[in-house]
Amino acid sequence: MGLNGAGKSTFMKLLLGMLRPDVGTVAINGKDIRDAPAMIWAKVGHLVEHPLAYPELTTRANLGLGARLHAVKPTEVPTLVEEILDELALKPYANVRARVLSSGNRQRLGLASALQHNPTFIVLDEPTNTLDPSGVILLREALMRRAGETGAAVLVSSHHLDEVARIADRIWVLNGGRLIGDLDPRGIDIERSFFGLIHADTKESA
Amino acid sequence: MSRSWLLGAAYSTEARKICTARVGVATLIMLDIGTALISVAAVLGARSEDSVIAAKLAPLVAAGGWAGYLSASTQVTSVAGLLGFGVVLAWQFGREFSEGTVTGLFAIPVQRRTLAAAKLLVYLSWAVVVSTGLLLALLVGGVSLGLGLPGGEIWPLLARGYGLALLTAGLAIPAAWAATLGRGLLSGIATIIAVIVLAQIAVFTGIGGWFPFSAPGLWAATGSAGPDLAVSPLQLALVLPVAAASAGLTLRAWHRLQLDR
Repeated sequence: MGLNGAGKSTFMKLLLGMLRPDVGTVAINGKDIRDAPAMIWAKVGHLVEHPLAYPELTTRANLGLGARLHAVKPTEVPTLVEEILDELALKPYANVRARVLSSGNRQRLGLASALQHNPTFIVLDEPTNTLDPSGVILLREALMRRAGETGAAVLVSSHHLDEVARIADRIWVLNGGRLIGDLDPRGIDIERSFFGLIHADTKESA
Repeated sequence: MSRSWLLGAAYSTEARKICTARVGVATLIMLDIGTALISVAAVLGARSEDSVIAAKLAPLVAAGGWAGYLSASTQVTSVAGLLGFGVVLAWQFGREFSEGTVTGLFAIPVQRRTLAAAKLLVYLSWAVVVSTGLLLALLVGGVSLGLGLPGGEIWPLLARGYGLALLTAGLAIPAAWAATLGRGLLSGIATIIAVIVLAQIAVFTGIGGWFPFSAPGLWAATGSAGPDLAVSPLQLALVLPVAAASAGLTLRAWHRLQLDR
């Protein structure tokens, strides 16, 4: 969590290899991501900034395309696609081209693409942006299910303090590109703790 | 999960995109039917009773018959082909940035270099379809002009036209590199327009044979327009390193891609 410009998206882009760090390395399962084998990336699901949604393709075709790029076997693609369409309530839009989807449904499509191949490491940048309340609930349930059933690690950036406090085990607070806090959300006033850290850091920096 | 399996997955996704998108289909129709129609119109114009139009178009189809008609088509193909192929490449590579889908192409098992290779392979497959379609459209156009079925001396000219379309497709590859460096379609399209302008300047200044972007057009025209425009095999062969270098630079740019701007 962090205010606008705190470095949340930059941090996620570094993790996913979209940016190269000026110093240090990023490793997944102990492997520098620059040398990480394809198998490791097959277990990563992410949504950063824009959904993988090609306007000329339908929701179903976009999901099929995303599954192939995540190295899902062609024979398994239809089953996975139908499952995630059900899970994120996208069935009514399955044959609708992405160009005519609302921004909320495009976001759902992006989330579906990130989750459909059952990743064990999930990175989502502001995933609830543009989602309606039912979409937020469906996403929360989908993430809790994956974390509970498959032990997936889920890294989410968000501005919604209450939502984060409800689902997170740990909250890292970023400010000015630095990690300034590591909170356990259980039994704390999240708003008070978050702004307390921000104010203290801002005062110190000044 | 071998490298070739991942390339196959990327190829199938890229093929689906170009087959479904309007850009791929519209450009194919415009290059094939558009070129044939312009060539037919040039022949009809040269036959026109309007002496001004006839005088303007006569040099374009001077050889007469199939040779004159195909001469007009090569002149159209060498310019319109470069533009059309360039637009498709700029779209293929630049759209990922302008539509924001490029973020979804990171952190996946298919490497970005493999994705770029798949895009180029799909493009080349599409170019073969376009070139074949152009050949058929020109045959239909020629027959409908009343030129009859092409005789044995015309097939080499048709083969040159086919070769010109394929070579032009290869020469448009810098548009892919430019679209990648410029992070969008417009830089790719601007680059191909600049290439067309330079090719015209090279032809007008007499060095067109040594300029790879104009050499195929001159070579294809040679068969019907006389020996003045002759292009040596060495000059024509320069097309291949240009296409290969552009493809290599595009793959390298995708391999090193960062979303820092």
